[in-house]
Amino acid sequence: MLFTSLDFFLFLPLVLAVFALTPVAQRWAVLLLASYVFYGYLRPFNLVYLGAVTLVIWGCGWGLGRATQKPMRVALFVLGLIAVLGSLTAFKFYDFIAGEIEHANLFANLKLPRLGITAPAGYSFYAFSAASYLIDIYVGRLSGKQNLGQMALFTAYFPKIFAGPIERATNFLPQLLSGLQADPVRFALGLQLIGWGLFKKVVIADNLAPLVDHSFKIVAFAPPLELLISTYFFAFQIYCDFSGYTDIALGISSLFGLTLMENFRRPYLSRSTTEFWAERWHISLGSWFRDYLYIPLGGSRAGTLRRAINVMVVFLVSGLWHAGLGYGVGWTFLVWGALNGAYQWAGLATRGLWRRVGEALPRVAASAWLRVLRIVITFHLILLSWVFFRAGSMHDALLVLQKIGARLTDLPHLLTIYPFSAEQLTGFGLIAFLLVYEIVDERRPVFQRLAAAPVALRWGAYYLGIFALLLFGRWQAKEFIYMQF
Amino acid sequence: MKQFGKSALLFVAIGLLIYAGLSFATERLLLRNGHSNPFFKIATAEANDYDWVILGASHAMPLDFGDFNALMQRETGLRILNLAAQGTGPLYNRFVLEHFLRAHHTRNLLYVVDSFAFTSRAWNEDRFADGKLIRGTPFAPAIARRLGNYVRRDGVDPRALLDYLSGFSKINNRDRFQRDAWEGEAQFDRVYRSSATAVAQRIAYLYPDATTPELCARYLKQFADLIATAREHGIRVIAIKLPLPALFRDRLPNEAAFDDAVQIVLTERAVPLRDLSAALDNPNFYFDTDHLNRAGVTESFQQLLKPLLMTPGR
Repeated sequence: MLFTSLDFFLFLPLVLAVFALTPVAQRWAVLLLASYVFYGYLRPFNLVYLGAVTLVIWGCGWGLGRATQKPMRVALFVLGLIAVLGSLTAFKFYDFIAGEIEHANLFANLKLPRLGITAPAGYSFYAFSAASYLIDIYVGRLSGKQNLGQMALFTAYFPKIFAGPIERATNFLPQLLSGLQADPVRFALGLQLIGWGLFKKVVIADNLAPLVDHSFKIVAFAPPLELLISTYFFAFQIYCDFSGYTDIALGISSLFGLTLMENFRRPYLSRSTTEFWAERWHISLGSWFRDYLYIPLGGSRAGTLRRAINVMVVFLVSGLWHAGLGYGVGWTFLVWGALNGAYQWAGLATRGLWRRVGEALPRVAASAWLRVLRIVITFHLILLSWVFFRAGSMHDALLVLQKIGARLTDLPHLLTIYPFSAEQLTGFGLIAFLLVYEIVDERRPVFQRLAAAPVALRWGAYYLGIFALLLFGRWQAKEFIYMQF
Repeated sequence: MKQFGKSALLFVAIGLLIYAGLSFATERLLLRNGHSNPFFKIATAEANDYDWVILGASHAMPLDFGDFNALMQRETGLRILNLAAQGTGPLYNRFVLEHFLRAHHTRNLLYVVDSFAFTSRAWNEDRFADGKLIRGTPFAPAIARRLGNYVRRDGVDPRALLDYLSGFSKINNRDRFQRDAWEGEAQFDRVYRSSATAVAQRIAYLYPDATTPELCARYLKQFADLIATAREHGIRVIAIKLPLPALFRDRLPNEAAFDDAVQIVLTERAVPLRDLSAALDNPNFYFDTDHLNRAGVTESFQQLLKPLLMTPGR
């Protein structure tokens, strides 16, 4: 079921009504049932995968909670991780790797069998959530004596199952134990978040999507300026698509009195790629990699070289995690990860220099224009990496960069003669609106400003938002990009 | 909590008022920009009585592109109303015919038969829910009631009715300020060089489901019901297959079996079928893989259709 479908707009009030009529202590069970209906709605067989992951991880966690011998604990831990992360890897890559091996022709006439299946929707997200549950029990952050039903809800919780946030059991499960209750303030905030998330998805992302798809479909035929515009559009399409989903997930959770972790914090206002990845973009995934991969690898404590290797490993794994998106499984995702890892290397290598420059020129370092410059540079570094993320193949990605690069000096002239379409101008307008909103929000959250505003102004803003959704939203268009992981 | 509830109710009430205003405005806009939707044509029809009504899917639409319908009327001296709509099978066409007969009459019905329209829900039950068709359909309680009947009786998606009643597709129409014309009409004067790949893609689009005898029988039954509806109103029915380019026609799946099946339905009801599908093989007569362009329609009309339209019924 899609958040943007009519089915969902009928489903959610029904779940809310049943939730409200159920005693507080049993409300989690309503959400569990609703989650299974939601997830199995389009493809009931997917519930088998979800059930298997839940049972395996809960069983291993249960065993860990009772096992006292280290070999037994390690065995249960490894078994659980292999079952979940191993199956994720097999779903994503087995067929691709088999094809690459055959293509490389290392062994004459080698024909490898194919699985012929892809990961069920949202598998990358709930597999990571489930893995974090097991790891937290193994390292003692969480007790292994969790209620199976509540753990099942943690894995299956419908607002986050398709595209996160990749929630932690240490945050989620205690909320269930304390009972779920929504109050009017949280309810109103939840509705605002849902509205804003829908706006980002159906008005901004889905209006940009056809323009991006058109250019990237056959890169060789697209003019350089159109490719450049589409690359910019893609940066905002993927942001609005993904963060829109997150906002809706957070908003729905607020309706049920649940708080999910923040996943986006105005990422295109980052002043460095480190800030972008560590604090602003897909925060739940970034912190997952930090806690469950980077720190166990030694993090920043094991010397400069080891740190650099750890950073690159994290970004390469992140690239692999993103592979299998609607744009296919290919080397582009690995390059995307490596490029972002290289940005972190450059940041680490020049950190001391920038600190010394800042100390020598404190007024320059604190100036607004430098902040803006850093934001612009950071955005364009990320933009460059999005080309590899979006392109269908390495050949296409390099062709995009080659075509844009070859005409870079002509751009000012091309801009004056380019016949911008009404859709492109609308796209620029929507992006400008988003940026203004985010700059205002960065200083003080817009929701807080609205809460303090006179009723007429507040309601006027709500009606504008709602009717913008009705008038300009593309409701029949697309599923969320990250749902395809 | 009580105060919150009151505020919420007031907020919703104001919202509904704005929505109603918007619905009214979009309905007015539709009356200004409407063009090819069959219900729009019925609502704005100049006459109550016609000699011919044409029904079918997109292959019948070029007969009304540009000024061609006016030309046919001039040359035959007959009143002709083309109510064909893109991608519509017999179920949707019966819906159109029933609404037409509510306040209008025709002496003859020309039904343009296309096998694809008898092979899939996509061109029948599901077609009712297509936002592009709904947004071109003016609001009328009679249409809403009839659509409700189709939902209840024929398995049409209730969301189609909800969409129609709420006017959502009209409010959400991105092309709200443009003429509601099918994109094919803009290419009416074009000549197209087809390719095997384009034809294969087109066939795959038109036949999304495997053609099964059960599905075909279901839509042939709908077609028979349509004929019965026409007969109840004393309308003479003629079925016709319009010309198709050889490259396209040869790729149609199970066409011979479909021809046999449709012939049985028509023979039982004494409805003549004129198969003109092989009459114009020259690709210069088509503006895309399978639609007649102006030259094709002119040729078809002068050589084949005009005598047919002018043959008086018994």
